[in-house]
Amino acid sequence: MSRPGQTESQTENQTQNQPHTQTGHFDADTIRRGALACLPLLPSTIIFGAVLGVLAAQRGLSLGELLFMSLAVFAGSAQFVSVDLWRETIPSATIIIATAVINMRYILIGASLRPVFRGRPLWVKVTGMHMVADENWAVSMTQKDLANPGFLLGGGIFLGVVWATGNTVGYLLGGGIPDPEVYALDFAFTAVFAALTIGMWKGKVDLLPWIAAAIGSVIGHYTLPGTWSILAGAGAGVLVAALTWREDMDDDSLEAEFAVEGRDAYGAPEGIANSTSVKPATETGQ
Amino acid sequence: MTQFPDLTSFSFEAVLTILGMAAVTYGMRLGGLLMADRLPQHGRWAHVLERLPGAVLISVWVPSALSAGAIGIAGAAATVITMAVARNLFAAMAVGMVLVGVGRYFIGN
Repeated sequence: MSRPGQTESQTENQTQNQPHTQTGHFDADTIRRGALACLPLLPSTIIFGAVLGVLAAQRGLSLGELLFMSLAVFAGSAQFVSVDLWRETIPSATIIIATAVINMRYILIGASLRPVFRGRPLWVKVTGMHMVADENWAVSMTQKDLANPGFLLGGGIFLGVVWATGNTVGYLLGGGIPDPEVYALDFAFTAVFAALTIGMWKGKVDLLPWIAAAIGSVIGHYTLPGTWSILAGAGAGVLVAALTWREDMDDDSLEAEFAVEGRDAYGAPEGIANSTSVKPATETGQ
Repeated sequence: MTQFPDLTSFSFEAVLTILGMAAVTYGMRLGGLLMADRLPQHGRWAHVLERLPGAVLISVWVPSALSAGAIGIAGAAATVITMAVARNLFAAMAVGMVLVGVGRYFIGN
């Protein structure tokens, strides 16, 4: 980290010179890395996209309408329900209400993206929040360097292209798509979310809220319709997190402050954060 | 299919319905972020907000593992353990999916 012989004032000077360094809003390299990070989801996304394409052809949507929906709404489970409800006379109100209910979790997902967009101008938030699906959200939230809207967008663009490709293949074939369950492709989504949970562990403060979320979602699963179980679980987790919070839990250590001010965790240009000396003075000073 | 699939027709009602779906979905995505921006950066709310992604994620997969039956629960457990040990997303997913695929083939659901 800090070179021997470096004085404290030099370290301070260095930190003052770079307080606002951060990755570009939608940096090309970051977008590419975000896309690659979603690669494990390619097979299941394309197959489910194709299944939706088959269903849409049966329900009388044109391919153009389906692709428009996939890129404008960009939410798999809501699209399955909506396309399933689709008839010659479209029940618009029912479909829009169903979409709102199923996608209500995006309020929570949007809220949890605060560190990713911290300090970014409004236009970055407006453009970056569209291509947010559960999958690229979860992958982005487990990154070490959170403050990368480009990483989130890269994953979203990748999933959007794969999703729309799957739609087109399914629509044109009109059937003959392998049953996702046979190859456990339906389990891919469960698996990716389960695995990424490990990366979200921040310490034992997470334990009780997580247990509450698990119990809440299981109870919701057996007592509530559709995707309400997500809201039940998240609500239970939030409630327990709020109740178990204590004053001394706030991480006000110097290292945490550094992260918030746009260094280690939020917005250091990749590769630079670790190569230059950005350790807090507690380590470099005597 | 006897006729060539309908590729480019856009009915007015369909476009309107899709725009409505898109508006509510995008509104909730952006609205959630902008609301969170107004919450304090320290203290109880910040603490709650930090626990939120884990709570949402768990609530997404725990019920779906349950509804995949015993083999789903075993697959999810295998995925979590592999991830905790190997810290590799691809490996963790592969272990869980192979277990579920093989389990369904030999045991059924």
